[in-house]
Amino acid sequence: MNLFWRILDLVIGGVFIVAGVIKIIHPLHFAYDISNYDAVPWAIGVRLAFYLPWLEVIAGVLLILRRFYAGALTVILGLTLVFIGATISARMRGIDISCGCFGHASDNLGFAWHLVMNFSILVAVFLLMRQVSRPRALA
Amino acid sequence: MGGFSLRQALLLALIAFVPAIGEAFYFRNQIPWNSPVPASELVKVETAKEWGAQALWIDARPDDQFARGHYANALSLNEDHWDTQLTNVLTAWSEEKKIVVYCSTQSCSTSRQIAERLRKQANLKNVFVLEGGWEALQASEKK
Repeated sequence: MNLFWRILDLVIGGVFIVAGVIKIIHPLHFAYDISNYDAVPWAIGVRLAFYLPWLEVIAGVLLILRRFYAGALTVILGLTLVFIGATISARMRGIDISCGCFGHASDNLGFAWHLVMNFSILVAVFLLMRQVSRPRALA
Repeated sequence: MGGFSLRQALLLALIAFVPAIGEAFYFRNQIPWNSPVPASELVKVETAKEWGAQALWIDARPDDQFARGHYANALSLNEDHWDTQLTNVLTAWSEEKKIVVYCSTQSCSTSRQIAERLRKQANLKNVFVLEGGWEALQASEKK
């Protein structure tokens, strides 16, 4: 069973590392993606475009390395909730967005797939949090 | 796990500032920090209106929004029907025209994207993005 949790760490950590690195390489492209959500002014969005990808990468790496594990899971949980909230809010306001999760690779990722991916990550994070909270897992 | 994980998360959130600031410093001259459109490519509503017949107005919003209302004589040109609508734009365009592209609001990015495509794919010059978009146009009409 331990192998299952390790694989889940690797998958979730890997997803966040890849997503973060793509955005780090193209910060302006990610800034435009944030701008498409029409949720924050450009001046804030462009600064978030530099900050969020690094947070994703750091959390992903620490999840895989199992260092600051609880903190990394909390960050990933927070980011995922923000992404889900932003997506639903944009949809409700009639904004047809490219999610920007993986740079150009996700340009054609529609609303449904975007949500399925984020909710899958959310479920995985909850499972990992539950597992790490168990006394046996801490031993 | 609660308080402990929150403290760790806060620490990670702080650590992420370090490489982010470093990267922002590296890209400092390549990023439009205050507006998605460089100032030279922006035009104010009043200025664009002063251009009169010299201005070719392009509405970059989706078809349904265009149908609900648009600026007088504006042509619709959006990503969904680029190929078909571009023909209308090119027909109306002439060398002395200044193209003014607008979308819904100040923060929408469609007008920037359409303006970029007009410059790069249609090789048009004098393409401007309207500051404030349709919202600003409507506000100026009410004055």
